[in-house]
Amino acid sequence: MSDGSDEKAGAAGDDRAQPLVELAEVSKFYGNIRALQDVSLQVHTGEITCVLGDNGAGKSTLIKIVSGLHQHDAGAFRIQGEDVRLGSPREALDRGIATVYQDLAVVPLMPVWRNFFLGSEPVKGRGPLRRMDVDEMRRTTHSALLRMGIDLRDVDQPIGTLSGGERQSVAIARAVHFGAKVLVLDEPTAALGVKQSGVVLKYVAAARDAGLGVVLITHNPHHAYLVGDRFVLLKRGSMAAAYEKSGLELEELVRQMAGGSELEELSHELGR
Amino acid sequence: MATVQRSRRSRASVRATGAVVAAVLAAVAALAGCSSTGGKRAEEARDQAASGKANVTTPRWKIAMVTHSGDGDTYWDIVQSGAKQAAAKDNIEFLYSHDKEAGRQAQLVQAAIDKKVDGLIVTLAKPSAMKNVVRKAVKKGIPVVTINSGQEVSSAYGALTHIGQDEQTAGEAVGKELNRRGREKAVCLLHEQGNVGHEQRCDGIRKTFDGKVEDLYVDGTNMPGVQSSVEAKLQSDKKVDTVVTLGAPFAATAVQAKQDAGSKAEIDTFDLNSKVATGLKDGSIGFAVDQQPYLQGYQSVDLLWLYRYNADMLGGGKPVLTGPQILTKKDAGKLEEFTKRGTR
Amino acid sequence: MTAAAPAGSPAGPSGSAPGDGGGPAPDGSADERLVHRSLPARLMRRPELGAVVGAIALFVFFSLVADSFLRASSLSTVLYFSSTIGIMAVPVALLMIGGEFDLSTGVMVTSSALVSSMFSYQMTANTWVGVGVSLLVTLAIGFFNGFMLTRTKLPSFIITLGTFLMLTGLNLGMTKLISGTVTTKSISDMEGFDSARAVFASTLTLGGVDVQITVVWWLALIVLATWILLRTRAGNWIFAVGGGVDAARAVGVPVGRTKIGLYMGVALAAWISGQHLLFNYDTVQSGEGVGNELIYIAAAVIGGCLLTGGYGSAVGAAVGAFIFGMANKGIVYAQWNPDWFKFFLGAMLLLATLLNAWIRKRAEVTR
Repeated sequence: MSDGSDEKAGAAGDDRAQPLVELAEVSKFYGNIRALQDVSLQVHTGEITCVLGDNGAGKSTLIKIVSGLHQHDAGAFRIQGEDVRLGSPREALDRGIATVYQDLAVVPLMPVWRNFFLGSEPVKGRGPLRRMDVDEMRRTTHSALLRMGIDLRDVDQPIGTLSGGERQSVAIARAVHFGAKVLVLDEPTAALGVKQSGVVLKYVAAARDAGLGVVLITHNPHHAYLVGDRFVLLKRGSMAAAYEKSGLELEELVRQMAGGSELEELSHELGR
Repeated sequence: MATVQRSRRSRASVRATGAVVAAVLAAVAALAGCSSTGGKRAEEARDQAASGKANVTTPRWKIAMVTHSGDGDTYWDIVQSGAKQAAAKDNIEFLYSHDKEAGRQAQLVQAAIDKKVDGLIVTLAKPSAMKNVVRKAVKKGIPVVTINSGQEVSSAYGALTHIGQDEQTAGEAVGKELNRRGREKAVCLLHEQGNVGHEQRCDGIRKTFDGKVEDLYVDGTNMPGVQSSVEAKLQSDKKVDTVVTLGAPFAATAVQAKQDAGSKAEIDTFDLNSKVATGLKDGSIGFAVDQQPYLQGYQSVDLLWLYRYNADMLGGGKPVLTGPQILTKKDAGKLEEFTKRGTR
Repeated sequence: MTAAAPAGSPAGPSGSAPGDGGGPAPDGSADERLVHRSLPARLMRRPELGAVVGAIALFVFFSLVADSFLRASSLSTVLYFSSTIGIMAVPVALLMIGGEFDLSTGVMVTSSALVSSMFSYQMTANTWVGVGVSLLVTLAIGFFNGFMLTRTKLPSFIITLGTFLMLTGLNLGMTKLISGTVTTKSISDMEGFDSARAVFASTLTLGGVDVQITVVWWLALIVLATWILLRTRAGNWIFAVGGGVDAARAVGVPVGRTKIGLYMGVALAAWISGQHLLFNYDTVQSGEGVGNELIYIAAAVIGGCLLTGGYGSAVGAAVGAFIFGMANKGIVYAQWNPDWFKFFLGAMLLLATLLNAWIRKRAEVTR
């Protein structure tokens, strides 16, 4: 049943413009443990590709390959058509792939503006007087956040005092500001309540509207269905299904996520 | 310097570190190296060999010395020099070990017993902890001599004799000397809190000195701390006209503190080193009371040799005293030479 | 949502950079509401506030109980002792903000002094050559600490404990081996000694008050460290590696280089302290310095550095050193019974730290 939609997705991908990022039958092994096998996905400009899966399905392995923390063992990883093998997160960043992790997106004790520019601080002056352009950093932080629709009263407050959703949003705004072409989001809504999740999804959509390709990793089909254009379902390291938004009902996605036929069996067992 | 620091710290880059290295090397090269005064060359010029050859025919006996010295203590260094000199002369294999903690010192004594030494020299700074192990050595037939501390219990534990200075007596000698010099208020500078010997020295001064004595505790491992504490004391109490330091290295520091505080106090000290000898000579230090550590080391080894060779023993059941010896300006000339080679 | 206006142009606000000056000058623009944050509220957020309050309290206290405490000469003595602690406490604070410890600092100072003294003496070289060699050796020790830490990923506690023990042994062993005694020979009659002494251990007279040159070194280090911490990229990285090392790595902060740099900064200060030790007393006891590392850490913590990293200030550490200096010498000025010396010292340090923690908590509430 899933085979049909799989092929449809593949065919639909081919007739479009070159994808920003493409994984073709990528596999990854840790020793003789198969963490990921023959997974394919595409990320296009102005689109959101959702990667869904239960715990241990291989989502984090996938994210590590795309963000340059690990390297794939088989298959092809292409960025704008070019075969690559990323050596470090820095290399991924240089190629326009920015990753926002669920827990470690920001340094909690540091002010918002310091976090915003961390690792890419603008400098002025030269020689021993080379210094960060602090005023510029404060102002840019404020305006960049505002453009994403985040209105912070005080960019000097430690980012740890913001809510979880706000923190994710700042990290997203940061990636957008620094000209990322592809944004990889690791479970941005996992630890958040309903309202906060909505806020974050709004910023994810804003990033998409700004022309970025987005990879959204999640285990929540409702969130994925709200914003996603393409969907890849992982199960025990391999691809269980792939869909496009057209031709997909939310119910189908939820059913697949919840375990598909396994769930039906379960409901029989539990049935009274 | 500031620029170099900043560029390295702010960039933390290998390139900048390289620049620092290059700059320092250049600076070293520019200074062109040599000093025409002082240094090793001058020492070699005045150096005479202080070691010798064995000139006895006795077998090579093994003698161990176990002390309560801490790491890097000048005093015990001189004791060792003396012991080594005697060992060289008497064809003795000299083993030295130390630990400032009594329990571990006792273990070191046990280790010496296990090595089946032919003679044992120990210090009894904390007698009760050493009691059993010393008695054990005596029971095994190892001749034991105690040095430096433990005079009261030495014979009770079965040691043949004790070589050292009575701390209380030494303090009393200082008190008398201070009276002779017409001093009125002294500070006793203790650089190790809880050291019984140090307390006894100060108590000795208090007993014979007609003036007032105040104790000042400092941390001996932090010289700037010692200096500023003495300075503070001299500034806060202008009546203080004497500072007595309990260890030679602190005398020079006290002199510096006195100058910085603008005080006229006299600095006197227990023990001796080359800087104290120089201080005695130029008058910045009033007097030093010495217990002759070299003699303690030399005499204890030599005495054990004599005991094995000829069953000789010194003291007649009483301690053999190596101090107190009051040293003043008139002794300074020859002392300076001896302290520089590390034997006084 | 009044601030929606500038959303269009990111380049717009940046154009007016020079007009803003250093501080939060109210230029009337709508998005600068943060400017109206009150001065006390902004002060409350400074990490060193608790230490400053504690220092003032201690100062007033000793001024009242010890009549000789307020004299210029007494303050100069207190400042001198504080500076010998503070020269080390400032870079140690930076290291702690970067999330690491260094237990080898106390003996590293002694090592630095020993290297300088013994090299000059044994080679009969100009003392400045020894000073230069000592700088290289000390920086190498700092590099070793940082390099081992980043390579092995072991806790800094273990790495620097190892360095501490090794240096303690090397100090004693090498000195004994080279000099024949546990104290170095005097180098006061050697060339270059006087000029080196002028740089590292002289006394300046400012307006009739004697000030030790270590105080100048101390102030220079505070300014330098504050500049690095608050105004350079490296400073941003220091906060980041201490406050969230994974987040820092994920955005491309060179974590390893930052930490190595911090350890070398500590080594640089150890070199300055070591040269002071040498040129002030012209001989060095090889057993010195053990235990001082904890005093440096204590000063940094009193000054508001979090033990877990990511928070603190160089000024705070300097104030912490000053508190330590005042407590240590104040007891002497107050002529208290010396038997209780350590107890008072400990109690006072604990009080200062508690006060510091209490104020920080209050500051977080007001926010």
